[in-house]
Amino acid sequence: MNRVARTLLPAVVLLVVATGFLGCKGVVSKGGSGQPATLANEPDVKFTDLQGNNVALASMKGKVVLVNFWATWCEPCRGEIPILIGMQNQYASKGFTTLGVAMDEEGKKVVDPFVQTEQFNVSGHPTTMNYPIVLGSDDIATQFGGLLGMPTSYLISRDGKIAKKYVGALVESQVVKDVESQL
Amino acid sequence: MNIPRRFGQVSALCALLLMSGGAIALSQEAAAPKSAAEVVKTHAYVSLDPVPRGKEFQAAIVVDIANGYHMNSHKPLDSYLIPTTLTPQLPGGITLADTEYPTGHNEKFPFSPDKPLNVYTKSVTFRLKLSAEASASLGATTIPVVLRYQACNNSACLPPVKVPVSVQLQVVAAGATSKAMHPEIFSASSSR
Repeated sequence: MNRVARTLLPAVVLLVVATGFLGCKGVVSKGGSGQPATLANEPDVKFTDLQGNNVALASMKGKVVLVNFWATWCEPCRGEIPILIGMQNQYASKGFTTLGVAMDEEGKKVVDPFVQTEQFNVSGHPTTMNYPIVLGSDDIATQFGGLLGMPTSYLISRDGKIAKKYVGALVESQVVKDVESQL
Repeated sequence: MNIPRRFGQVSALCALLLMSGGAIALSQEAAAPKSAAEVVKTHAYVSLDPVPRGKEFQAAIVVDIANGYHMNSHKPLDSYLIPTTLTPQLPGGITLADTEYPTGHNEKFPFSPDKPLNVYTKSVTFRLKLSAEASASLGATTIPVVLRYQACNNSACLPPVKVPVSVQLQVVAAGATSKAMHPEIFSASSSR
């Protein structure tokens, strides 16, 4: 080993360790998605659906679930709804579902009419939301680690582990690839 | 081998690498959305000092919006979007004639490439047209104002928030001498 290499080696080792540490620490990566270093268990949360029924996240074990925090007033959330409808159409039969968690303060009063009436262009066809919608709260968001912005989504594996977190609008090619990798 | 010299070289390199690691961490922080309250800075101004009883005056709320963020205007183009509003809580003897909201501008965003949104960006000034009635209390007066807004950046939105803003003024007796303040904000030609 020449002298320069001997000089640089400790620094390179330190860089690798430091980068690894930062990579593990960073929850949000550039591009709006991040993968935890170790897969955390999904939180033990119970939602209320638009009919007033309790929906436990644990009841979906065995399915790949994309938990999508959204709100009716959130334009980027609206922008990704056609992607979510399309994925529901394509992958529901293979054991996948999106679970839309509406964070509107006014709750069912504003969410229900939106879900029933808003049409989204999916492959040229006007389509309403076709995946389960439940009502969220700050407490529920806190159990997922807290939300800084919306949309925020969590991809949950069949065995109830959080496989990936997405902050900001979903990139279709990326989330489709991630979902397929879990099916 | 010159051990002290080599140690110095390695130490310098390590310091540089740690600094670069810090820069990586900071860039990751910058990529994360701010909290809703961090997105704006507010400043309140009054057109007269002091304000004599019986006089009309204005208060301006200047809102500086963080770079890369926008908030819906007072009249967003879609009914489901949350408009920016100002709600003053008027003390006795202070009356409100009008609240002036500037017109937003239409802008397209990556998440809404076909449909523009009507938004405020950078800096926006709201004006409250007020009067001090004969019954207004003399002396230091505060008008609490609540600014409600909902902000987004190019990929994510923050929850709607209510930010308190205080408008401070001095009320004096009718006919007392008063000086026009902040012409850069209140002159007829200045509107941001």
